[in-house]
Amino acid sequence: MTDRSHARETQPVLQATGVTKRFGGLVAVGDLDLTIMPNQIASVIGPNGAGKTTFFNCISGFYTPEEGEMRFLGHPIQGLRPDQVTARGIARTYQNIHLFKGMTVLENVMVGVHPSLRSTPLGALLRLPLNNIEEDATLTHAYELLDFMGLADVSDVLATNLPYGSQRRLEIARALASDPHLLLLDEPAAGMNPQETEETMHFIRRLRDERDLTVLLIEHDMNVVMNISDQVTVLDYGRKISEGTPEYVQRDPLVIEAYLGTAADEVDVNLLAT
Amino acid sequence: MLQTRTRQFVASAREGTLSGFTVGLIIIFLILLGVPVNLTSIALPLFLLVALIFGVRLARRLREHGIGHLLGNALALGLAAALLVFLFMALINRWQERNIKVNDYFYSVSPQTMTVLSGVPASELFANPARDPLTGAYPEGKPLRTNPMRLTFDSETGLELVDINLVIGGFYGFLIVLILAGLLGVLLVWGFSVARLGDTWKRTRAYLATSPQAHSGLLLLPPVFFALLWLTVGHGTYRAATGTYSTINPIINLGGSAQEVQLLIGFAIILFGLVAVRAARPTDVGLSYRARLALCLGIIAVMIGLGLWRIIGSRTYFLATSKALGGSETISIVLTLAVGALLAVQNIVGLRTPGRFETQLAGTGAILAVLLMPLYLNQGQNDVMTIVGINVMLGLGLNIVVGYAGLLDLGYVAFFALGAYSYAFLSSNQMALGADGKPTGLKFAGNDEMVIKLAGWVPTTMIVTLVVAYLGIRIWRRRPPAVRRPWERQRPLVAYSGRPGGSMTALITVTAILLSALVASLFEGTGLYDRLFSKASPFLVGIIIGTIMSLLSGIALGIPVLRLRGDYLAIVTLGFGEIIRLLFTNLRDYTGGPQGVLEIPRPLPAGATGGVGYLSMVYLVLIGVGVIAFFSLRLKGSRTGRAWSAMKSDEAIAQSVGIHLVQSKLTAFAIGAAFAGIGGVLFAARQRNIYPNDFRLDVSIEVLSLVIIGGMGSVPGVIMGAIALIGVPEVLRQLETYRIMVFGALLVAMVILRPEGLLPAPVVQLRERARSLAQSHYRREGGEV
Repeated sequence: MTDRSHARETQPVLQATGVTKRFGGLVAVGDLDLTIMPNQIASVIGPNGAGKTTFFNCISGFYTPEEGEMRFLGHPIQGLRPDQVTARGIARTYQNIHLFKGMTVLENVMVGVHPSLRSTPLGALLRLPLNNIEEDATLTHAYELLDFMGLADVSDVLATNLPYGSQRRLEIARALASDPHLLLLDEPAAGMNPQETEETMHFIRRLRDERDLTVLLIEHDMNVVMNISDQVTVLDYGRKISEGTPEYVQRDPLVIEAYLGTAADEVDVNLLAT
Repeated sequence: MLQTRTRQFVASAREGTLSGFTVGLIIIFLILLGVPVNLTSIALPLFLLVALIFGVRLARRLREHGIGHLLGNALALGLAAALLVFLFMALINRWQERNIKVNDYFYSVSPQTMTVLSGVPASELFANPARDPLTGAYPEGKPLRTNPMRLTFDSETGLELVDINLVIGGFYGFLIVLILAGLLGVLLVWGFSVARLGDTWKRTRAYLATSPQAHSGLLLLPPVFFALLWLTVGHGTYRAATGTYSTINPIINLGGSAQEVQLLIGFAIILFGLVAVRAARPTDVGLSYRARLALCLGIIAVMIGLGLWRIIGSRTYFLATSKALGGSETISIVLTLAVGALLAVQNIVGLRTPGRFETQLAGTGAILAVLLMPLYLNQGQNDVMTIVGINVMLGLGLNIVVGYAGLLDLGYVAFFALGAYSYAFLSSNQMALGADGKPTGLKFAGNDEMVIKLAGWVPTTMIVTLVVAYLGIRIWRRRPPAVRRPWERQRPLVAYSGRPGGSMTALITVTAILLSALVASLFEGTGLYDRLFSKASPFLVGIIIGTIMSLLSGIALGIPVLRLRGDYLAIVTLGFGEIIRLLFTNLRDYTGGPQGVLEIPRPLPAGATGGVGYLSMVYLVLIGVGVIAFFSLRLKGSRTGRAWSAMKSDEAIAQSVGIHLVQSKLTAFAIGAAFAGIGGVLFAARQRNIYPNDFRLDVSIEVLSLVIIGGMGSVPGVIMGAIALIGVPEVLRQLETYRIMVFGALLVAMVILRPEGLLPAPVVQLRERARSLAQSHYRREGGEV
């Protein structure tokens, strides 16, 4: 724990420089620079098709960017497989919830613990000491996480049978199970009513404060973004058009143009915050 | 009023007629498949069943129209069905009269079929009666050709009824029976609705599901079925004093069908054993420890007693007499008593835990019933059990690949073949013949150099590897603890001084391999192995080598198909299965080619002298199934099992959660293949001669079917599937021809009606355990609960 916090104070958690991802001729993410400092909540916003999720996929190893460099706690992560990225301490959730069908809520979280475990199939067959200790620890860890997320009562329910909001929380619990440094949340408030959104915001702050996490999120709900972010990055057509505090971004004419397509002086800037 | 009634009646009769035509078409289809000839005794009941089912369906649809309409409908149904079948048969008959060889077109419509359907002896059918040698005229009073339906087509007079044949199977009999079946179906539904039997049935089911008495009855079903089996078997009594051997007739004499019925009871024992263990609930039924113990020990005492009686009275021994181990009877008695004692100790300890009573009771009963069952079955029946057991092993192996990891493997039979051939090469005494018919000089090792060498090499390399690994880890742990860089790897959940890193592991592995080979060859050079292992059992060596060979080939197949999913994976693995079979067929000089490998010995203990082989085979298979099932269950609840399950659900997401796909897939292929290899070794030992054709694609398909029908990812489901698809057809030997058809029909039906399988895997319930663990964790950490 100590060495981890030490490493954090001295350098950014994530530093992307000149990241470019093309699909054929289409530049999905172009020359993107992004720096996230420890214990921040950073947001990436932008109109549909701006390349936000593509950027997430580049970080989490689904795509390999053609150009640029991404460093996680000072070490390059581009070109790593998704499981290697996760093992280094980056966990993520998805825009469309992807839970493991046919597994219970508890099992879903237990899968998330996978990279922190070392036991082998042989250990499981023979019930070697390491396997038994790890199994108990996994179960405990997973249950405590579910307790933290308020899902402990539905531990034994099939994950796909949960209501929508709980599925979102379960996905976050699964991401937290690998004990990440950086959590990528892809539209955590999508499809939620105002009260649930309020709870989600509160919850993301709690994650940052209690779990000692750095959070990077994509969100369309400007209310969420402007309220909880320490730093906002705005993408349009794969390029960064603005970056800074929520207040700064809100007043940036380029951002307003990207969202509303009109000249800055004609628009009520507060529109973005509502 | 009358008009509407008539119209109603016509409308409902139309429904009946349509249903009747459907029934007729189905029966014609069954006739074309050859059902009447191949299933002589079952054919008619099968046809009636079809009519009955449609009658019930019809009646359910038309229930509110009243009984009169229903009866009219049933009449229409029977008439229409019989008429259709009759017309078809008459048509066939007409063709035959015109010398059109229908057999060429409808393979199964032979004179024999007609005989069965019409109830007319074959000699009367299609036989041209002898003409009068003087006048050249046909004999008077007899039709030119006897029509199976007792109807003659005459070009002059048209249709003419010759006589009325009321034999069941003749047209009129057929007609009447079909109508009766329709009526019966109708009356059944009507009766049910009038008497409100449906509600009673629901209430009965609810009672059975909730009542504790009914529930404990379910738990005791395996011993009950075992008792039933015991009642149907004749017993021998051997009087050592006089040296006489006499037999007592069974209490329930099954006569000619004993063979089949006893097998079915055997399957029921296994089936209800699975059901009982699953049905066990965490309760002690309010009994004290002593009462619980008395009940469980009582069952053990009675059943072990029955086993001993069989062993001593009927002289049924499950091991051959061996110089090393002693006489068959002594070994059998000692082993049986040992099993009883083990179970007793297990119960004495296990019952102390509150809430384990039902599990203990069901488990003890089921295990004993299954273990003692082979003693009460004869050789043929045990043979069927062996086949079922081998298929269960294959199923459990494929269940790992398909059921757990979701990788569709259609070439699974390859690993089975590799296991079988590994054992065959090691043990067969046959000289392979070359293309010119002369021995090629290729001699399968046959319990000599190769077996002795391997019998030495395997344990030596294992021991040396273990020692090297242990020392390597010890040395690695002594070095100063590395500074764990946070970005390098996740902190392990459990802090431990664990396995060495990558380069160190490689170093230890290489050292282990080189050193073990060196040590083994040194030992071999001194002639130590020749002295120690000259009597080594080829079976023991074979099962180890077979497992290792198929495990390695599993990895070898896994590597090229790592990137493939779904259909592509299925096609490539299918190709792999065929390649292995073709290699065994065509590498004549090494494998014996299509003539196969012959004279494979049965697995016998070292220095065996006596002759009881078949029971040891069953017990070997039982042990194999037990071990593999146990391993499957353990793997399922492990880290690896969860990784497989996640991978099955969504590969990409599983990878991003941190699962190493390559590792997970290869592990699944390797373990699945190893299980098949064990099955293969036992298969070769049972068959004693194996041919490449034993390992065709059909085997893969059959095993896949039994996994799907039983329930993917469910261990009891696979056992159930093997009984349903391999065991039951063995009982109904006549159904052999329809096996593939029945497979297909069952698969379609299962996918529609019960996609999760016969005995699907239950949803894992871990919450209580997790909560208690978490609570004790809090307490240890000094926090609040």
